[in-house]
Parts: sequence; C-alpha cells; structure tokens
Amino acid sequence: MPEITELEQRLDLLREGIEWPATPAMAGRIAARIAAPAPARRPWFRTQWALAAAVVLLAIAALITYTPTRDAIASWINLHTIITRVNQLPTPSPRPSGPLGTRLGLGEPTTLAAAQAKAGWRVLVPASLGQPDEVYFQVDAPAGEVSLVYKVRPGLKVSGETGVAVLITEVSGRVDTNFFGKMLGPDTTIEDVTVNGHRGWWISGAPHEIFFVDANGNFRNETLRLATNTLLIDDNGIVIRIEGDLTKTQALEMAASLS
Amino acid sequence: MEGRPTDGDLFTRAQRGDKVAYEEIVRRYQEVAFRTAYVITGSSADAEDAAQEGFVKAYRALATFRAGAEPRPWLLRIVANEARNRARSAGRRRQLELRLAERFRPGDAAPSPEAAAVAAEDRSRLLALVNGLSEEDRRVIASRYFLELSGEETAAALGIPQGTVKSRLSRALSRLRARVEEGSGA
Repeated sequence: MPEITELEQRLDLLREGIEWPATPAMAGRIAARIAAPAPARRPWFRTQWALAAAVVLLAIAALITYTPTRDAIASWINLHTIITRVNQLPTPSPRPSGPLGTRLGLGEPTTLAAAQAKAGWRVLVPASLGQPDEVYFQVDAPAGEVSLVYKVRPGLKVSGETGVAVLITEVSGRVDTNFFGKMLGPDTTIEDVTVNGHRGWWISGAPHEIFFVDANGNFRNETLRLATNTLLIDDNGIVIRIEGDLTKTQALEMAASLS
Repeated sequence: MEGRPTDGDLFTRAQRGDKVAYEEIVRRYQEVAFRTAYVITGSSADAEDAAQEGFVKAYRALATFRAGAEPRPWLLRIVANEARNRARSAGRRRQLELRLAERFRPGDAAPSPEAAAVAAEDRSRLLALVNGLSEEDRRVIASRYFLELSGEETAAALGIPQGTVKSRLSRALSRLRARVEEGSGA
C-alpha cells in the first residue's frame, strides 16, 4: 500500500529526531558484578573450632530443614548472610476504599506539628521537596509512624492510582538485613547506599514489603504503599523509606536533604 | 586478522571466560539494550536495571550461546525479558512517552524557516500519534523504525515468534495510518 510506504518513510525520518534518555555506562558495574567471587566465608570457619562448629551447624541445619519456622531460626543465629530470593512474593491484600489515608493505611490525617508532638523522634522533612501536602499519623507502631505525602512536584511522576508522587514514611526502629530475602522477589534488586553517613538500600523492581525491628524490639513487616522503587534508610533509630516512581538519583537527593 | 574483533570473536572469547571481551560486548550493545528496555518499560531507571541485570544473566548463560549464531538477538531477548518483567510489575502506571529533541533539524536543508517549522510540527504530531497507540503497537513500531531492529531482533525484543512480527507490524501501521488520516481530516 503506497500510504503505508509513505508512513514508513515518515517514521524513518522521525528516528533521527527522537530524544532518548542518555544511555548509562554500565560496563564497569557489570564487570564488577560478574567478577564478584562467591560470597565470602566467615573468618571463624578457618579456626580450629571449625569442626565443632560444623557439627553444631549440621544439627541446626537439620532443625532448619525440618521445622516450619526455619526462617525465624535462621535469623536468630544470623544465618542469612547471603540474601536469598523468594520466587513469588505474597500479593498484598487489596486496600480498603475511601480517603487516601485509609486506602494506603497511613492512619489519621494530621499536621506536621501535631505529628511531631506525638512521634517519639524528630520528624525529618526533605528540604528539596519542601512542606508535604498531607501528613498522616499511624498509631499502630509502638512510637507511631509518620507519613508525608507529596502530590505534585516538578520533574516527578504522579501515580495514577493514588495521586501521590512521593511518600515518605518514618518509624522508630532499625533495619534488619537478615530479612531482606523476604522482600526480594525475582525481579527486585537491592543496592547498598550511604545517605549522610547512614546505611541505606535502594530497592528497585516493585518490592511489596519491608521488614524492620520496631522500637520495642519486635520484628514487623509492612506493605510498601506504592509498590515502586524504594529507598530505605536506617537513621540511628528511625527507619525512613522514600517510595515513588523515582530514579535512584532523585531518591538519594531527597534523602540527602532530610533535616 | 588485525583491528577490531568481530562480535563473534568477542563472544567466543567471553565463552572461554575472558571478562575483558565481555566488557567490550557490553560497551557495544549497551545503547541498543538500554533503549530496547526503555521502549518496553517507559522508565529509564527500569531500563537501566533491566539492561544491567540482562547483561549479568547473559554472561552466566554464555554457555547456551551457539557459536555462529547472531549475538544481538540473543542478548536482546534476555534484556527484553528482564524489561518485560519490570513493566509487568509496574502495571499500567507508566507509559512510554517518546520525545523529539528540541533542536532537531532534518538532514536535508529546509527551503525556508516556515517550511522547517511545518515539518517539525508534522513530526511532533506523528510522534504524539505513535505515543497514543496501544502498548503492543507502540512497541513494534518503535522497535522497527526507531531502534532499527531486524525482524529477528524485534521478535526477541517483543518475545514473539519471528513469523508474527510482520503481521503485527502491518496491523500497527494500519492503525497508525488511520489516526494520521483522522487527524488530517481526510
């Protein structure tokens, strides 16, 4: 068909004008990943206690293999030094309908000052985003949980489902990396980062859950609200997570401006 | 033979464990891999992840690459698979929005500034129509015309049999043409 041919020519012409996002230089990072040796063994493995330890490990391994609570045991004895992946993450249960706070399980709407008064820590706000559009306080966690909602900000994509561009959640507790395996599906990747000297993790590929130890020392898991790329930070007693359709650079910039 | 090694040479060397050869493969293919992943995911962050993960997986799967086969479709299939997984988990929140470079001027000199402006407007209208197509149509058109992938590579990128590429492309072009005609009031 002649019209198709003409259209094809116009598409060919269009090609030169397309502005692609810059291709990141990946060769170095990929080389580092393929060069990485098998996970390092613990130093104590080489000591004279190795045999005794091996016997104990064997007993524990038997226990782990045959008890339903093997994850719990593995975490007590800190065996999760290698992050394992689950093949299928549990599908998060659907959120109830209603206002945003209810739908996302953020708790009650409040103001920044009121949330600060209730929270057991100093609530941090990213200077790069300014004041949040909405603030929520959730009484579920021992010292409460504060969520900052940012709706529209230049250069940030807004989630069509929730109308939220960035969601920042702060809770008193610490990150326990033993449980990372539980939140990583086959398509999720995790990367260590440092934010203002604090440990952080950039989790990309739609993770659904995070695990942390709350202010009372109990393990807790929480559904990530937007199931988008997430930056998780352990800020000496506060677990901060930044969720949104963000690039790593954007998330790190926000995190660095938290004050 | 002296000079630049062929892709086939590099693959053979990489299969023998030559990591430097594989790095060169990554450098040669990272742009097409990243852009293919971008066409699929509509997000440069996801495209970067998919391309990176794909290259790592491809390295681990080098043993399955048959000597003498075409390396590009083989690699693109792995990267595109990663990209499709990410696009699926991102759901419908994202859509590919291709853009025109602002300072773009067509290769052949335009007769006048007015004509150039008309041509630029025409191109951005056409691109907007491509952006407005269904995901399936947009991916096949972008693969063939914007990424210049071969039939085999397009099949690899879209995860469909090679025999399906032609019919899918012709259906996508018909739908695009219908929209072009609608827009021009024809």
